Formats: sequence, structure tokens, C-alpha cells
Amino acid sequence: MLVLEAVSYRYAGAERPAIRQVSLTLDKGEVLGVVGPSEAGKTTLCLVASGLAPRAIRGAMDGRVLLDGADTTALPMHEMAARAGICFQHPQTQLSGICGTVFEEIAFGPMNLGLQRDDVVVRTWDALDVLGITALAERDPMQLSGGQMQLVAIGGLLALRPAHLILDEPTAQLDPGGTRLVGECLARLAAGGASILITEQKTDLLERICGRVVVLEKGGIVAAGPTDEVLAAAGLAAMGVAAPSRVRVRRALAGAGFGDGAIMDALH
Amino acid sequence: MVGPITLLATAVVLPAAAAGVLRRLLRTSMVLSLPIGISALLVNLFFFPGGSEVLLRLGPVTATREGLELALQVLARILAISGAITLFYLTTRPAELVVDLERRGVSPRLAFVANASVQTVPAMVDRASAIIAAQRARGLDTEGSIAQRARGLVPIVGPVIMGSIAEVEQRTMALEARGFTRPGRRTLLWHPADSGAERVARWLLVLTVPALLVARSAGWLDLLG
Amino acid sequence: MIELRLEGLVHVYRDSTVRAVDGVDLQVGPGQRVAIVGQNGSGKTTLVRHLNGLLRPTEGRVLVDGSDAARLHVAQLARRVGLVFQDPDRQIFARSVRAEVEFGARNVGMDRADRNDAVSQALAATGLEGESDTNPYDLGDSRRKLLALASVLAMRTPVLVLDEPTTGQDVRGVEIVGSVIRAAHAEGRTVIAISHDMGFVAETFDRVVIMREGRIVLDGSPAGVFAQRAWSTLEETYLEPPFPSRVGARLGLDSTPTDEALIARLRERASDSVPST
Repeated sequence: MLVLEAVSYRYAGAERPAIRQVSLTLDKGEVLGVVGPSEAGKTTLCLVASGLAPRAIRGAMDGRVLLDGADTTALPMHEMAARAGICFQHPQTQLSGICGTVFEEIAFGPMNLGLQRDDVVVRTWDALDVLGITALAERDPMQLSGGQMQLVAIGGLLALRPAHLILDEPTAQLDPGGTRLVGECLARLAAGGASILITEQKTDLLERICGRVVVLEKGGIVAAGPTDEVLAAAGLAAMGVAAPSRVRVRRALAGAGFGDGAIMDALH
Repeated sequence: MVGPITLLATAVVLPAAAAGVLRRLLRTSMVLSLPIGISALLVNLFFFPGGSEVLLRLGPVTATREGLELALQVLARILAISGAITLFYLTTRPAELVVDLERRGVSPRLAFVANASVQTVPAMVDRASAIIAAQRARGLDTEGSIAQRARGLVPIVGPVIMGSIAEVEQRTMALEARGFTRPGRRTLLWHPADSGAERVARWLLVLTVPALLVARSAGWLDLLG
Repeated sequence: MIELRLEGLVHVYRDSTVRAVDGVDLQVGPGQRVAIVGQNGSGKTTLVRHLNGLLRPTEGRVLVDGSDAARLHVAQLARRVGLVFQDPDRQIFARSVRAEVEFGARNVGMDRADRNDAVSQALAATGLEGESDTNPYDLGDSRRKLLALASVLAMRTPVLVLDEPTTGQDVRGVEIVGSVIRAAHAEGRTVIAISHDMGFVAETFDRVVIMREGRIVLDGSPAGVFAQRAWSTLEETYLEPPFPSRVGARLGLDSTPTDEALIARLRERASDSVPST
């Protein structure tokens, strides 16, 4: 379980905090979506939840972040790695850049932890298997498509067997094929009981995989609740978030007088 | 002059040809050593003190035969050095280098830095060419006079530096998140093959250095110049 | 007003054997709004970089307003074709937003009055009018991207080429990009944009060109390229038609790429089925 208790974070040199008094809970096996316009503090939320802020990025934090009961500021970074894995927007900069094959790239994390050789190998095959990318094992990671690279980055996290996955707009920089590939994998992970905190602009994807969604605006949580309710709320656009296509089209059709059952069924 | 050229031929050109990278080696090391090579050539050619046999007079400066000989020797040395470095980069897989350094007890972080610096060069070149393209698209004249080109430096160098800083930041975070900063030894899955012949060759190279030093101080190599 | 014409364009990058663009013929008339769509690596960016001379054809010709682009300097072409790159961090260098936007306008030789006017207009169009003195690096990713767009808008080129302008944008950013394209269209400028957002493409463009492995596989109106007969071709390029198209198909309607088109078709059908008395 990942818990943020009234967390505020101000980057070194910034005038205002990037997030203010954010409290949320990610339960075991839950997929929680975080939406909001750009500069609302979504990335900061991810950095704080993963423990990278304030450890790797300078700034001042108030409040507490608890990972399975442990305060993140008390854990060294390599112990955090086994509790929360974080994936960013840009696929290339997340790969170590020193591994000649996808297999080694995914094994990189467990190797850093100094695990037994056999254990590293098992974890790596497991991660490749879960993501359905065993066929890529011998490929050069730098020669993959953006979507494939992003899956390798996620695989590198999964091999650390983290209790939580934190994904910061994982499909933002991908083409439609890559978005679909990563989306399908995330849906599989979610169905398999992974605990995931995910930020996204693509609400169509969140609608498919999230149980709950929170809306972040100007650093604070302004709405939270079950996915269907939050993403269908009338005020969502005013908060700078696009409604999922289904919601948008339903609204347009109902507004034009085509709200009858047969037509509404075609939306599903 | 014969010395560095012999070295260049036996230690760089022959192995490069054997490895099938001779063409790439020539191109890369030319580009690398051209600026320093030309300046070394000019300085030694025209400012060699006390040469007697004058080859060419250009206003206040004169080129002498002795100056020319020294210039060529310096040039040959530069080529030998840059050729050897280029050969190393062209024939060594970065991943193998890192693994091998680590296996020999070098700290993972140091090994990573050694490798990252090798990998950064092509990435920087890529980034710089993308930036040049973007600025040219905004009308920056990179084909005009030298003064015009100089004015174009800030819009190119600025984003190169800022981009590198941002990328290092992102990479650092990604590495930390994967436990790279954990103290102690990492697990190694494999290490590059190290055949008996390679070992012999390596030791021979190591022994050649003192041998050459001895030969040189004893005056046996004076013939080669 | 400028016409663009690609004739048998082939591009092979140095040190490569792959034809990144493999025989493209394309004519874009003055004032058209054209979206170029396809997976990464399908040759979209390579293609548009020929329009302002950043790349020279390996084979074929690029004609900008009738003259061969290969004979013009990039700096000359920059007055006619403005190209906004995908990654703003590969161009931003100035210490203030205004100076960044002014850079291109100055390079193409606008006088001070025109320049001030163009810069202010570009800042207003991208919602950055309040940020003139801000350091670009203090803006978030999506506003930096709008800044890059503003800096090319201020050059007032008759042709505007945008490489993935909506990637990484939030809904407000996408709206701003859409309104910039509509305004440029209203002024008679040609707009060519690469995009991965099929909904945005269908709403904003008159013509959609779909590329795969360096070739054009579909070219037509949004209603045409997203019509059901084209779905198998779309599927081969890993593209999905916009959501309203899929809803329309389930309701037995074709060519409904936008919400408006879907509603219009439903209205037509409703009025057809009303028995006339």
C-alpha cells in the first residue's frame, strides 16, 4: 500500500510548491489514475511517491510518504527500488544505455541489487514473459521502436519485483502502435493484480484500466472517485482534462437528441 | 618521423584492416585530428627556430627544411595517437568494456562513467545536428560568411548544453530508481571471452613498452628518427 | 500563396540502405490543411524536412512555388516554409519568451514594426502573451512546445509545417494548436502537420495522407481515409479510425470521423425514415 499524507513539495529555487497537501492511497492490487492539465504537479506527485524527490531532486517536502508502512525518507534509494518502480515519458533516457541486449537491460536492476545469478535470470525471463516480449530478448534495446523501448523500461522495473508501479505518462511520446502495445500490457498487468499509480492525458486508456481516478489542478487534488464518475463529470473539461471519447460522443449525441438505447449501446 | 609512421602502420593500420574497420578508422581519426594537426603543422613549419635551409618565404615568416621535418614528425605522432584511440573505440563494444572493467574490480559507477562518456559522443553529435536543423528552419544562416556563422553559435551551443544537462538528470533518476547507487558488488551475468591468444598479445604489448624505452635510451632507434 | 509539389521523392540517409522515403508524389495546393499520419519510422519527418531544404532528395524533386528546392538555401526557403520541430528543447536558447519568438522573425529580415506585431500576435495565438519576460525553461513541457510553435508563427511564412504539435499536450494545448491551424487557414496559409491523434486529425484537417514504410498508402478527406473500406489498410499501419467512425460503423453508418459527422448522418437517416404523407 502506498500512502501520501498531506504531501507538499517545493523544488529548490521555486517560488511556489509544485504540489500542495496531497493525500491519497493506492491499495494493493489497485490501479489509480491521476489526471490534470500540464504543470498541475502530476510528475512531481510521481517523483515524491517513488522517493526520487527529495532524494535525487533537490527540494523541500512536507507531509509523509509511506510505502507498505515505511517512511520513504528513511529508506536508501536501492531499497526503495524494490518497493516502488517508476517509469517516465521518454523511453530512451530510462534505459541504462550500457546494455547490448534487452535481456541484460531488464536484468540491470536485479544485478544492481547483487542478487544471485540464477535469481536474476529467473526474474528477467519472468518480466519478459509478463510483458509478452520474450522475442525481443536478444535485440539491441537502442534499435527498438518507442513502444517496445517503453516496454523494456517497464520490464526493467518489473524485474525488481516492486510492490508498486508508478507510471508518469508512459504513452505520451509514443505513436499509435506503441500506445496500443503499452496499453495492452498495462491492462494485462492491471488484470493480474499489480498496484499501479498512473498519470495520463489519454483518458481512453485510463477508462479501461483504472478503478479510481483523482484530478490534480494547480498542485492540489480537486476531484477523486470511481473512474466512471470522475471522467464523466461535467466539470472535467474546465479542469483541463479531456473526457474519454465514449463520454464525449455520448454527450454530443444526447445533446442532439439521439440519447435512445440502441444508439447508446453502440458506444460500448 | 619513421618511428611514428612505423608505429601507425603496425599498431593501427594493420590491425584496423584485419578488423575490417580501416575505412571508418581513417574517416573518424582524420576528422578528430584535422584541426590540431593543421595547427601543429603550421606552427612547426613556420616558427621552427634556427632552421638553415629555407624552403619558402611568406612576409615575416619563413619555412625551413628542418621546420618541415619536425612538423611532419609531430603530425605523424598526432595521427598515431588519434588512430590508436579511434581503433579502440571502433573495435570495443561498450557493454563488454564495462563488464570486463567490473570483473577486474573497477567500481560499477566508474565503469559506467567510462562507458557513458564513450556513448555520449554520438548522442551529442545527433543532438547537435538536430538543433542545427531546427535553427536553420528558423532562418539561421549557417551557409554564409564566418561572421554570420559565429553569430549562430549561441542558438546552437545553448540547447546542446541545456539538453545534455536535462538528459543527465533524467538518466540519473532512472538509474537511481533501479538501485544503481547501492554500495557493494553487482551481480555479473557473463564476461567477454578472453582467449589465450588475446592474453599473449596483451602481455606482449605491455612488454613492448619497456623494451622500446630501453632501445630508445640505448640509441638503437636513432636510425628511425 | 505557394504550391508544394513532390515528384518521385526518394530519400536514403547516409550510412543507411533503407529508403526512408520511397517514391512519394504529392501535391499540396495553396491554403490546404493536410495531416500526415503513420507510425514512427514511416518517413513522415523525413518527408517534411524536404519542404524547407533541410534534407535534399536522393532521387526526385521538390518544387516550392515552382522552383526546385535543391537550388535554394535553407535560409531562403525559411521565408516560405516554416517548420516546427517535435522537440522544443532542440531549439529553445533565448533567455526570454519574447526573444525566442523574435529569433526567426529577425532572421527572415522583418523590420522592427512588423516584427513586434508578428511576435505579439504569435504570443497571443499560443496563449503566451502574459509570459513575454519569462525564462523559457520556467515553462512546463507543453507550453515550451507552444513557444516553439509561436517562434515559427512569427515568421509569417505562407506555409506552416508542424511535426507532432499535439504530442505530450494537454487538452488546452491541443485546443490552442487547433485554433492556430484554423487561424492560419483563414489567412490562406497552407498547413501541413504530422500527428498521431486521429480524433484531432479528423476534426482539424481537410486532407489526410497516411504513410507506411516510406510510401503513401492512403490520401483523401477524413471521411474517405477513415471510411470502413479503408479500415484494413489502417489496421496494417497499426492505426485506428477515430471513435465516432467506430460508433457510426456499429450503427450501420459510414464516413463519420467526427462527432458532428456522426450526428449529421443520424439526422439524415432519421429524416429519411420519417414516412412522407
